Amino acid sequence: MDPILTTNILNVVYEVSTLAVVVLGLAVVFGLLGVMNLAHGEFVMIGAYCAFFVQAQNLPFLAAVPLALLVCAVLGLVVERLLVRPLYARPFDTLLATWGLSMLLREAVEAVYGRAFRSVATPLTGSVDVFGADYPSYRLLLTVVSIALVAGLVWWFVRSATGRRIRAVVNNPELAGSVGIPVTGLARNTFVFGCCLAALAGVMLAPLLPVNPTLGLDFILKSFFVLVVGGLGSLVGLISGSGVIGGVESVVSAFLDRTYGYTTVLIIAILFLWLRPNGLFPRT
Amino acid sequence: MTKILNPISRRRFVAGAVGTGAAVAAPAVLSGARAAGEFKMATFLALSGPASLFGPTQTACGKLAVDQINAAGGIGGRKVTVIPADGGATPAEAAKAAIRLMLRDKVDLVLGSHNSAVREAIVAALKGRVPYVYTPLYEGGECNPNVYVTADTPQQQVQPSISWLAKTLGAKTYYLIGNDYVWPHKTNEQAKKYIAAAGGKVVGEEYLPLGAPNKFEDAVTRIKAKKPDLVVITLVGGDNVNFNRTFAGFGLDKSIKRVSYLLEELTLFGIGAENSAGLYSAMSYFVNEKSEPNAKFKAGFAKAFAPKPPPLSMLGADVYSGVYCAKALVEKAGGTKDAGKLMAAANNLQYRTATGTAVMTNRHVVKDMYLAECKGTSFDIVESFKAVAHGQTCS
Repeated sequence: MDPILTTNILNVVYEVSTLAVVVLGLAVVFGLLGVMNLAHGEFVMIGAYCAFFVQAQNLPFLAAVPLALLVCAVLGLVVERLLVRPLYARPFDTLLATWGLSMLLREAVEAVYGRAFRSVATPLTGSVDVFGADYPSYRLLLTVVSIALVAGLVWWFVRSATGRRIRAVVNNPELAGSVGIPVTGLARNTFVFGCCLAALAGVMLAPLLPVNPTLGLDFILKSFFVLVVGGLGSLVGLISGSGVIGGVESVVSAFLDRTYGYTTVLIIAILFLWLRPNGLFPRT
Repeated sequence: MTKILNPISRRRFVAGAVGTGAAVAAPAVLSGARAAGEFKMATFLALSGPASLFGPTQTACGKLAVDQINAAGGIGGRKVTVIPADGGATPAEAAKAAIRLMLRDKVDLVLGSHNSAVREAIVAALKGRVPYVYTPLYEGGECNPNVYVTADTPQQQVQPSISWLAKTLGAKTYYLIGNDYVWPHKTNEQAKKYIAAAGGKVVGEEYLPLGAPNKFEDAVTRIKAKKPDLVVITLVGGDNVNFNRTFAGFGLDKSIKRVSYLLEELTLFGIGAENSAGLYSAMSYFVNEKSEPNAKFKAGFAKAFAPKPPPLSMLGADVYSGVYCAKALVEKAGGTKDAGKLMAAANNLQYRTATGTAVMTNRHVVKDMYLAECKGTSFDIVESFKAVAHGQTCS
């Protein structure tokens, strides 16, 4: 196969799978709690800064994973208790509150690290020969890990007892509560879990991004498009949404350019909002 | 730092026309309004917005120049005080601030380092009534009355560097990539001219939206397919960082050279040591420039802001030189009230810069330019070009 075509295909797979990981946490939280966390991108950003911090301490890159999970879990717990829980079932207020939170987190990180770009060295350099095309090893690894992460979560959600409880809470919180499912605790854990997924995405993507306090903003808009297209609140929707948004953008960008890529994505998002507001896989 | 051109051509035209009139009429109207005593200088620096990464270096360098000038007796014997304003604001806000500074604070001079949209708004607000010094590299073409541009122009950045790279690296094929706004387009216009003059060929040209969360996998794959000898980069800020990281991530840094036209110390730091092989930058200032004036400038900077000086970069050094340009201009013209005298004084005006002296003609600056190769996260100057023409024809 033509190596350039192979590279383009790998680019599309890379873009779709990393997008899915970024949106994963957002989708879990929205799908399960009905909370649109506008500070999701800031948790990604904090994850990326954890990677930078670990590198600055001369620790191995993988040490950033537990650190980011810890930082974002603690932060998620506090945010859930103080900000999200009092506002459950008030989606618009939650939207405003988490938007405010996103500003606060950006400013807090800026206060510590300033606005300067931080560079995180790629833990895995070099490239791998894939059907005659040299593809960067780290991007390839990231693609594999992303796919595994999404697949693992889907499997867990479908098969585990916790997954069943979560689905029960989503379908009917009152009934779930009355049969003894700890609704409040489950909601808290779900929110924290979503934050941890964002942190993980941040660590994974840090070596490929200009790490700076506004990094999270770059993700939030596209994440919403994914949810608009895929439908809110199902993992199948998340995967198909990432596929459509990430796939269309990178295919169009590969054959025309980024401007056409963005335009196409916007048109798709508008068409969906207009003609199919519940997305491809609406929650039933 | 330049940005999208404001779509206010009619206002600009009117501003230009009124400005020309005001330049003649202003002295009589305003002469009584301004207090002697202290010399008030308004500065529009990047206090907020995407460029505020450069704010600390701009503010510090401006302060250094003002402190030095005050220690030596001020401007025309008047002590300089700085009134800061935000160059990172929207054009409309910047225009309002400029009017307030001019009418209420009665500033003697305005100095700015910000994008072109903000510059046009300030020019339209001041209407030539107050001298205005503009310092960061830009696309050229600013000829409004009583505006003095100390910035690098595309002609200065591109002509010597492309000729040198074509000759030294033997580059025959070129790929141009930039953000989609006026500065990259104007810079590439020049680049194409000098690429053709050097017998080279442009094999690809693309522009990405400014301010969008751009990714560069597709662009890098296109570049990989075209196999150019040299990539000419006019991406700015985070996009410049992101592109160069992706470029090296795909291993293209091993076979393809790059030159970036807005690459200074802070951006290079973001690109990182492992991604900067074969990357060049062409500008009028690098911290590593080895002249004696620069050593003195850096020592003064380090001492003034000890123990923890902010990072130094071209966008700061430009502000330092801009303040000295203002001093030379005002002293040569014998004041700030007569725009005609100021504009006459600007011709062949000599002033001090961070790296020596420069000469102003056509209200732009003939200056020494440098071509530097990245070595890790610092710049190694490989060639200096003396007294490069700015290519501007303002009367």
